[in-house]
Amino acid sequence: MRRSLRSWLWRIPVDEEVDEELALHVELRTRELVERGMDPAAARRMAIDRLGDVARLKRSCVDLGRKREREMRLTRWIEECRDDVTFAIRQLRRAPAFTLVAAATLALGIGANSAIFALVDATLLRPLPLPEPDRLVMAWEQSPASPRGRVAPLNMLDWNERSRTFARFGGCASNVGGMVMAGADGTAETVDRQWVTSGFFDALGVRPVAGRTFLPDDDTKRLNGVVLTETFWRTRFNADPTVIGRDLRLDGDLYTVVGVVPDAAQLLARTSIWALRPIPARHPALRTAYALRVVGRMKPGVTLEQARSDMASVADGLAREFPQSNTGRSVAIEPLHGALVGSELRVTSLLFLGVVGVVLLICCANVANLLLARATVRTRELAIRSALGAGRRRVIRQLLTESFVLSAIGGALGIGVGAMILEVAPSMIPEGLLPGAVTLAFDGRVVFFCAAAAMLVGVLFGLAPAWQATELSSTLAMTSDSRTTTGRGGRLRGLLVGAEVATAVLLLVGAGLLLRTLLNLERVDRGYRADSVLTMVVDPLGDKYPTTAALMQFFGDIEREVKAVPGVASVGWASTLPLGPSYAGNWFAEIVGDPPASERDRPVADKQIVSPEYFEALDLPVVAGRAFTDRDREESVQVCIVSEAFVRQVLGGRAPVGHRVSMRPVGRPQQAPVVREIVGVARQVKGRPDEVDALVQVYVPLAQDAMDDMFMVVRPASGDAGALASGVRAAIGRVDKEQLVSVRGLMTLDDIARDATARYRFRALLVVTFAGLALLLAMIGVFGILAYSVQQRMRDFAVRRALGARSSDVLRLVLESAGRVVGAGALVGLALSVVLGRTLERLLFGVAPLDPLTFVAVGGMLLVTAGVAVVAPAWRATRIDPATALRSE
Amino acid sequence: MSAKSPNALLHGTLDALILKTLAGGPRHGYAVARFIEDTTGDALLVEEGSLYPALYRLERRGWVEAEWGISELGRRAKLYSLTREGRVQLDAEVAAWRRFAAGVAKVFAT
Repeated sequence: MRRSLRSWLWRIPVDEEVDEELALHVELRTRELVERGMDPAAARRMAIDRLGDVARLKRSCVDLGRKREREMRLTRWIEECRDDVTFAIRQLRRAPAFTLVAAATLALGIGANSAIFALVDATLLRPLPLPEPDRLVMAWEQSPASPRGRVAPLNMLDWNERSRTFARFGGCASNVGGMVMAGADGTAETVDRQWVTSGFFDALGVRPVAGRTFLPDDDTKRLNGVVLTETFWRTRFNADPTVIGRDLRLDGDLYTVVGVVPDAAQLLARTSIWALRPIPARHPALRTAYALRVVGRMKPGVTLEQARSDMASVADGLAREFPQSNTGRSVAIEPLHGALVGSELRVTSLLFLGVVGVVLLICCANVANLLLARATVRTRELAIRSALGAGRRRVIRQLLTESFVLSAIGGALGIGVGAMILEVAPSMIPEGLLPGAVTLAFDGRVVFFCAAAAMLVGVLFGLAPAWQATELSSTLAMTSDSRTTTGRGGRLRGLLVGAEVATAVLLLVGAGLLLRTLLNLERVDRGYRADSVLTMVVDPLGDKYPTTAALMQFFGDIEREVKAVPGVASVGWASTLPLGPSYAGNWFAEIVGDPPASERDRPVADKQIVSPEYFEALDLPVVAGRAFTDRDREESVQVCIVSEAFVRQVLGGRAPVGHRVSMRPVGRPQQAPVVREIVGVARQVKGRPDEVDALVQVYVPLAQDAMDDMFMVVRPASGDAGALASGVRAAIGRVDKEQLVSVRGLMTLDDIARDATARYRFRALLVVTFAGLALLLAMIGVFGILAYSVQQRMRDFAVRRALGARSSDVLRLVLESAGRVVGAGALVGLALSVVLGRTLERLLFGVAPLDPLTFVAVGGMLLVTAGVAVVAPAWRATRIDPATALRSE
Repeated sequence: MSAKSPNALLHGTLDALILKTLAGGPRHGYAVARFIEDTTGDALLVEEGSLYPALYRLERRGWVEAEWGISELGRRAKLYSLTREGRVQLDAEVAAWRRFAAGVAKVFAT
């Protein structure tokens, strides 16, 4: 205490202090010498001499003194901070409800922001995880028909040789497929495979983790080689280095493993195995086989413009040389990062960031409101602190420390919330919404973002309450008059909370509409009646079954073996799954004898190739005529079964059985039509859950139109079809002894239905989450301003009670002020919802944009939650004991 | 410090002497110098040029604290006094010096 008093009250600059001290020393020494009989002048000179180099002496003293002062200031500052933090924690613990609500509010705001930041970071901020990513571009063939077309292999080879600005081009096939990998233990498994050209990894700049990547030489040697992705190598081969050089049996052929590449190579496509697609001979067909997605690595120092003009001249040269194939084709070049992320995702990410940023601001405003409500309670405490000599700065600092402690707690919890969101989010996001390049990770950057956000937020919501609190304490508290009304700031706060309520109502209505849409879609009549059906793709690879007879034999063998599996009730084959993909595609289906329709009005149907037992397997009723039988063979009369929509739309309600349908594939009009006789009508099956016009369907017997890539459907005698999966696989393995069959996509029809509604589910989930958050925040806001105003009107209420008002009168006053804010907000929100419903119409199914049920439900929900928010302040207001309240003033 | 100067101070001894001096009560810089001169009977030469930096150093370490007081001339003077930490330090230095002197004495006694 004494030390600090000395330095604060007697602030003398260190150099003056030293001067004074040395002067005194010289004077006293001179006096001593004079007393001993020396001449005063000589004595003084001697006194000075004895000090030595006075200037140097002074310098070292001043130096030491200054250092000491600095250290003291720092220690004191740290001590004060420690005291403030301890005090703040004590204050927060004394009001656990307030602390909990405020910290939870901040945690939600910061957590949501951190999750979105992770998305923005992954899409926009982070460079690609490859060496010198600025040099990487995506190259497309540009033609009048398609501005961004795939690249023909020979063109890519020529780009590689002729360009002066590129170090290397490499390509991969546009789709990831599967390969059947035979294991040592006699089992076969399907692994993801991606075809690449030999320059692919060099262009990306990927260094092998083990072994090597492909060399240009491999092309000429026509190497059957594969490179493994690191994760696959680790999980499937336990990171065994001896795998390199070993041969793997893939799709029945032997492929040599040449190396392992890091997971970062999967930017263009996720896959386990990279197989080399050599471009050997200069076959002219390869000049027009537009199949590759091409990445290029520019030479160091080359700008995008230089690369573009260089490639333009290369394309010109090719067009002159190969006018037949290359006339009018140029090269489009785009930075790889931009090409992978895409502008739509970029905008979406930024939009999201904006939205959650506003959410965070609302969180801040709410916490500020809560703090204000508390600050009024603490006016007296603060006044006493001021009276005891704490300066305004010191009090503000104390209050700010409290906000920082609060925001630190909120930030720490927010990190947890963010991690949780990112943990759950990837499984919720429908496939294909994010490109392969985007991986959401919770890492140091996100934690740093949380910390920074918490700091910023601490200042944002702490400053105003601290300012106002000290203002109050200095002017009002000591005169013990706290009859303030909610003034200018109060109206602003009311507006803010009203806006929060409006937003919450708007989002709740949106959420309600989307939820009802989702429920409608899930309840949709799919057409078939089987409870649970297992499906999978069974794909006999290669050309082992060249004839229909051989293929039918193969399907028959598998069908018999699978039927023998215990628990299997029936087995069928199909080219289309209800709510799933259709392999046979759209066909023109015209009734023979009807007047020919114009191209535009020609009826189109989804052709579904099925085995006779398909209808039984799915419990799909044939409502008229007959189902297919084993007698419908390749050589017998060509027949078909049509759906109810076909009868309505194509036949116009005529009796279907006996009519003949002429079928031609859409897109290949020159192909000769096949004429089939309608033998039955099947119940209508949904093609998509949200289809408005029923899909026109024509079923064709497998024996009359065999395809080698089919779905097998298996219905169990009872229970869940998923349980049959391993038994069915084993049964297929018994037929497929050479392991040439690719079995993939094992799912139940319910899984497929769930996938079909994934986008709707994601949308609903997203909006429901935000609506819940908005409602919570709005209610915290209502609670905050109400608690504040009740606190401020304590005296008012007390006087009223003293003058004879009953507690119900006081309650009415409180509820009125709450009702004004919530009511106004709700009205605005509902009005906006009417507009929103219109814009949302496209995303809805089976529910009107002004769905009364949704609006009523939202109103009810708002009423209930507002009631919860109001309870505590209202209770407090009615419990005022006039005597105590007035005496304490 | 050359061997020919018998009253030169051993390194670090000055701090101990100052602490010991202040153990008797608050003093200003000149008084500290005079006390040491008087009690050692001029056997030790305290260089005034190193006295003040030593005082500032001790203050910075928290062994000594300073206050403004009034000197015998009636003028403002910086008065140094020992802190609790300073007292502990003094005891430690005295003990160390005793061990050192005893050791040296043993060697000389052989």
